[in-house]
Amino acid sequence: MNDTLFSQLSTLGSSIILMFGIGLLWRKSLHAYAESFKWQSVALTIMFLIIGYFGDDHELYVVAVVLFILKVLVIPYYLNRMENRFGDQRELQPYVNVASSLILAGLLVLLAYAITRPLVLVSELSTRGGMPLAMGLIFVGLFVVITRKKAMMQIVGFLVMENGVALLAVLGTFGIPIIVELGVFLDVLMGFLVMQVFVYHIHTTFESIDVDQMNELKH
Amino acid sequence: MIFSLLIAPPLLAALIAALVRPYRAFVGWIGAWLSLIPLSAALTIAAQVVNGQIPTWGFKLEYLNLEEVLRADSLSALLILCVTAVGTLALFLSPGLGRVVTNPHWGELAYGPNQLRRYHVFINLFIAAMLLAVSANNVGVMWITIEATTVFSAFIIPLKLNKASIEASWKYILICSVGIALAFVGTVLGYFDFVSLSGRAENALNWTVLLATAPALHPEVMRLAFVFLLVGFGTKAGIAPMHTWKPDAYGESPAPLTALMSSALFAVAMYALLRWKAVADAALGSGYTDSLFMALGLLSLTIAAFSIVLATDYKRMFAYSSIEHTGLMCLGFALGPLGTFAALLHLVNHTAAKSLMFFLVDNIEHKYRSPLIERTRGLLKTMPWTGALFAFGLMTLIGLPPGGIFITEFALFRAGFALNHPWLMGAALALLAVVFVSFINHLNKMLYGEPAPDNINMERPTERFSWRLALLFVNVAVLVTLGLTLPAPLVTLINQSVAILAKP
Repeated sequence: MNDTLFSQLSTLGSSIILMFGIGLLWRKSLHAYAESFKWQSVALTIMFLIIGYFGDDHELYVVAVVLFILKVLVIPYYLNRMENRFGDQRELQPYVNVASSLILAGLLVLLAYAITRPLVLVSELSTRGGMPLAMGLIFVGLFVVITRKKAMMQIVGFLVMENGVALLAVLGTFGIPIIVELGVFLDVLMGFLVMQVFVYHIHTTFESIDVDQMNELKH
Repeated sequence: MIFSLLIAPPLLAALIAALVRPYRAFVGWIGAWLSLIPLSAALTIAAQVVNGQIPTWGFKLEYLNLEEVLRADSLSALLILCVTAVGTLALFLSPGLGRVVTNPHWGELAYGPNQLRRYHVFINLFIAAMLLAVSANNVGVMWITIEATTVFSAFIIPLKLNKASIEASWKYILICSVGIALAFVGTVLGYFDFVSLSGRAENALNWTVLLATAPALHPEVMRLAFVFLLVGFGTKAGIAPMHTWKPDAYGESPAPLTALMSSALFAVAMYALLRWKAVADAALGSGYTDSLFMALGLLSLTIAAFSIVLATDYKRMFAYSSIEHTGLMCLGFALGPLGTFAALLHLVNHTAAKSLMFFLVDNIEHKYRSPLIERTRGLLKTMPWTGALFAFGLMTLIGLPPGGIFITEFALFRAGFALNHPWLMGAALALLAVVFVSFINHLNKMLYGEPAPDNINMERPTERFSWRLALLFVNVAVLVTLGLTLPAPLVTLINQSVAILAKP
């Protein structure tokens, strides 16, 4: 009974987290991006707590707290600061339009199901149903990074992808060793901070945060 | 204990650089002299490893099992040696040591005190992260430190803020962060398989434990994991088609950073890939990873060869040359023990040759104020020392004797033909010939001809010999030595590494 509940909860949670990722594809403003990321991170934190509870692993509570501070409080704070600084930037013309992006996202999730098939077959964890969804989220995040023109949207895409990786890790292994987990968080934070410093640099040097302005470097 | 001698000095140097503001020249000098401690520690480790010891370090607290978190076997020792050697060279040749700061004729190429401070903080952190990455036994820690190298180097690529450098570093940090995130997916998948077999264990991310369990791992999971790892660490190593950040970042970074990235950082990423290749080979047999390495190696060679033909900018030209050598080494690592031996020796040679080239390129750029080949004429006349070294280095890179690369390329092709890959080796040889011809062509343009007087820093018409140039003769000595003979300890070190990596 407990097991079915656990597996249903983990699949449901992963689906919700994936939906927040796919949501980016039809949202246009930075504000919406930041909000999606924040709520996705909230859902991810809850997921960590659920797995910690059912999997009887108390380390995950610690990880969940760090995750909450980092991805729900700190990073959204900086995203908001950028929003205030640059105004609510809108991604008006991504390289791929909304309709096609949604279709492609669907295909990416299908692809994720195809390639994670061996994992699901091998695993006996009750959380295995969510793993294809986590892989799908990684692909969707990657897709956002590739197709958006605004530097900040690319950052959010990267962060969403990182959330996908964290979800995959917790679903597949009930959490990687805590020291590694914390190191990864530290790296994400530092990487994010550098990227946001660069957004300011890009803004002052190019007078725009569209990365398609960047065409100085060729052969 | 020995590991703290390896990693503490660069951290200390970074701390000093962070505390002293504004920047003073002595900070740079302290960093440079401190870097001799890791270098001697590296030599000690190498000596221990050659004598059959394997230094390890780790601890276990109540919840925190970090046993054997650092471990230096012969492969690590080889890489530690490469990283510390280039690190020392880079720190001695860094901007901000001596009068350079105040020389008004360096114009827009001179750095301000803030930039120098930032540079000296992050270059030391960068070196420390690389050293940790190659001495980590825990693949999670290895991943964390490699990601950290991305962050630290991204701070100093745009030391001068302009459109080109911002663009280069944005591409660099975005592509590498995304790539390295994919490598983490691979790491997680490897760990996942371990967990589904034998339950959770804190030390399961230790490479030694992974390798021991590998034969029991599920091949279908390992295949998937390795693809992610190859794409991820391959991005960082600059294997085609994930190489696109490389020419930009190499073209825009300050010279010592480029030298470090092209020789040391590349080697570190390759090292991570090799560690995982050993695990994947133990799980799958070597055919799978070998064919992936061959395909990507050949692709890298092809893209690099034709980009070198079209190159107009000599810094980017050497970036493509890095991609070419990356491709060659990938081929080597796919060719069994013989090829692995050649590729590891090639890695050592490439480290010496590429760092030499990027320091010389920096001299040239300061003199000519332009990275364009067509504006760089008459090198031998204006800068006899740099010009001669440049010609030597370039000829070594394209595989002419007496440089060591001649030997390693020869060994590599022999290994390939011995393993019955005539088509692959034939294609690679043809591509190397393309590289050879176009490099000679570019070299001719740069060495001879009349420099247009307007674009040269005419302050000091001919170059004088200085200690900065004298230091580069260390690289020359290494290259010539490795071309003429193979020192016995090095052979032992590489043979032991081959035994780790390739099962015959």
